[in-house]
Amino acid sequence: MNLFELILKQIRQRALSTVLTVFSITLGVALAISILVLQREGKNLFGQTEFGYEVIAGVKGSGLQLVTNTIYRIDRSPGNVPYSVYERMTTDPVFKPDVRFAIPQCVGDSYQGLPIVGTTPQYFGYNPDGTRAADGKRFEYRPGQSFEIVAPGKVLTENRFEAVVGCDVPKLGKLKLGNQFQATHGFPIPGMTPDVHDEKWTVVGVLAPTHTAADRCVYIGLTSFYTIFEHGEAEVQREQQRQAVGALPPATAPVEAHEVHDHDHEHEERHYDLTPDGTIVLHDEVLRAREVSAILIKTRGDGGGLNTLRLISNLNMINDVMGVNPATVMREFFANFLDAPIMLLLAIAVLVTVIAALGIMTTIYNSVSARMREIAILRALGATRVRILILISTEAALVGLLGGVIGFFIGHGLAGIGSVYMKQTFGQTIGWYRVADVELLFVAGVVVLSFIAGLVPALKAYRTPVSANLVAA
Amino acid sequence: MALILEQLKKSYPAPDGSVVSVLDVERFEIADGEQVALLGGSGTGKTTLLHAIAGIVTPDSGHVAFQPGNVDVTALSEAARDVFRGKHIGYIFQTHHLLPGFTALENVLLGMSFTGRSPDRAWAKRLLVEVGLGNRLDYRPAKLSVGQQQRVAVARALANRPQLVLADEPTGALDPTTAQQVLDLIRQLCREVNASLILVTHDMSIAQQLSRVVRLDELNKRRQEIGDSRQE
Repeated sequence: MNLFELILKQIRQRALSTVLTVFSITLGVALAISILVLQREGKNLFGQTEFGYEVIAGVKGSGLQLVTNTIYRIDRSPGNVPYSVYERMTTDPVFKPDVRFAIPQCVGDSYQGLPIVGTTPQYFGYNPDGTRAADGKRFEYRPGQSFEIVAPGKVLTENRFEAVVGCDVPKLGKLKLGNQFQATHGFPIPGMTPDVHDEKWTVVGVLAPTHTAADRCVYIGLTSFYTIFEHGEAEVQREQQRQAVGALPPATAPVEAHEVHDHDHEHEERHYDLTPDGTIVLHDEVLRAREVSAILIKTRGDGGGLNTLRLISNLNMINDVMGVNPATVMREFFANFLDAPIMLLLAIAVLVTVIAALGIMTTIYNSVSARMREIAILRALGATRVRILILISTEAALVGLLGGVIGFFIGHGLAGIGSVYMKQTFGQTIGWYRVADVELLFVAGVVVLSFIAGLVPALKAYRTPVSANLVAA
Repeated sequence: MALILEQLKKSYPAPDGSVVSVLDVERFEIADGEQVALLGGSGTGKTTLLHAIAGIVTPDSGHVAFQPGNVDVTALSEAARDVFRGKHIGYIFQTHHLLPGFTALENVLLGMSFTGRSPDRAWAKRLLVEVGLGNRLDYRPAKLSVGQQQRVAVARALANRPQLVLADEPTGALDPTTAQQVLDLIRQLCREVNASLILVTHDMSIAQQLSRVVRLDELNKRRQEIGDSRQE
């Protein structure tokens, strides 16, 4: 019977208290590991510095809101900027030298709770005529990664009622290739009658998985986005108002903030015509009043240097427009708002683990007190004091190891649940299964801590007077 | 293994500060393979004497020498005494002192765990068969009768093929029939492994069955000394 068998026997003898002690260690470790994983992966996800574009332009205000809405499709859109801002990116000599790609996006509608985004074929790495852009001339959502459309689908045409959907949309929104759908104005809350627009789009393509928010987005052609009555009408009214008061292009209210109401569609006047082949031709008043929610801009040069800084600086000079670097915004958000609470949570988890280790000490100390006679018998059979010391401390370390290993897996499981939640909330998953050195160090630390905690009862056992305990029995 | 005790003394401090002498043995010998009964009632220092021989307690003075090799356990470090005891001495307590969470076989194997040698599972089983518990190998002590428990203790004491077996009132808690069976087993197994036997008992009928009987009150000339233990 070796040392390990002896320890297992002792543990089995006190199965209930051992299970409870292991449980308390498991709790602390699971908490700490899940926090470590979520912190690391959350930073990887939200603090990613590798976007396929360096600048997001939008309405002046909260950079964080603009970034989270544009990239992660959470939070409300902060509002719109005139379409002319987008046009200037590729035509105005002030901006053109710094801009390689500029992709406009419009948001505000939904389908089955999934965001609808109006954009151009360039966003997917295609030319306006629907052909695939050449390597190096393709817009990338991350460096080296551009959207792929699963065969036999194709990219949407900007001025037709065509849609491309993310890979999760067929499952979440029951929208498959060839299906038709109507957009809902805004994101109606439960119990509210949704305002469903008349126009019908046809799904012409499904995107390959990207593990980004794009997986749960419904993309429609930018021109087709303006055909929606409320969009066109509201923008025309705002433009008329602007001209009446001679105001500069203003920011507009967030689209989601529009009150969802029943329209009398019979009195609505369309702001577009359809050619026999289904091409949309917007009326002039809409063309003049178009707005965009955000512009994704890939700069020229090395991607992170002067072009970006100059572009952001120039954008900020336009009334009610701002440019932000998404990586900087997310990094600042993490540093300013999330790092401290995460550290606090981690400290609590460590505290829970230390208390659990103290629990090991108490449990084993009590068991040693109850096992004085057994320890004396072991000594009488030839076990040295050091052997007894090792026996008890190793038992404590083993309990710590068991709790640590179980907690490690449960912690990753909790992070996995968090990943599922994140996927459902904004379409992005995290690498909950990835293991970092710090996690292994934490578990090793728990084992060492448990061993040290076990030394207290072990020393009591070490000092057990053999003769007295044999006679007392 | 032969054993020689010389000038062995041990005393304990009493709560009132006085010093109580519990052991004062001038000389005692036992030959290799000899079976000796130490006859004495309670309070004659019999357990302390056995503990001193086994190295469980350290005498205040004197020698406990084993032959061959002339190993004086009083000169060994505590750890060395523990190892020596595990390898060479088998101990049978008055109450069995089995570990409750271990089966009969595991309790015997436990006796082999601290010698530095690999446990001999076959020998452990054979011992249990010899003490009549071949069909109780996986029984825990609580499932065994008192007599069966003491038989397991006998098997455990012989597990390492010791050269000396110390039996402290091994039949004290047993009925006469079972006591006789246990005594016979101890003597038979000691002969089998050629171990010397020192058996302490207060029962003359038990003592008389061994080759030599030594009266403890004659062997142990302890006396109570008055004094302040704190000055010792």
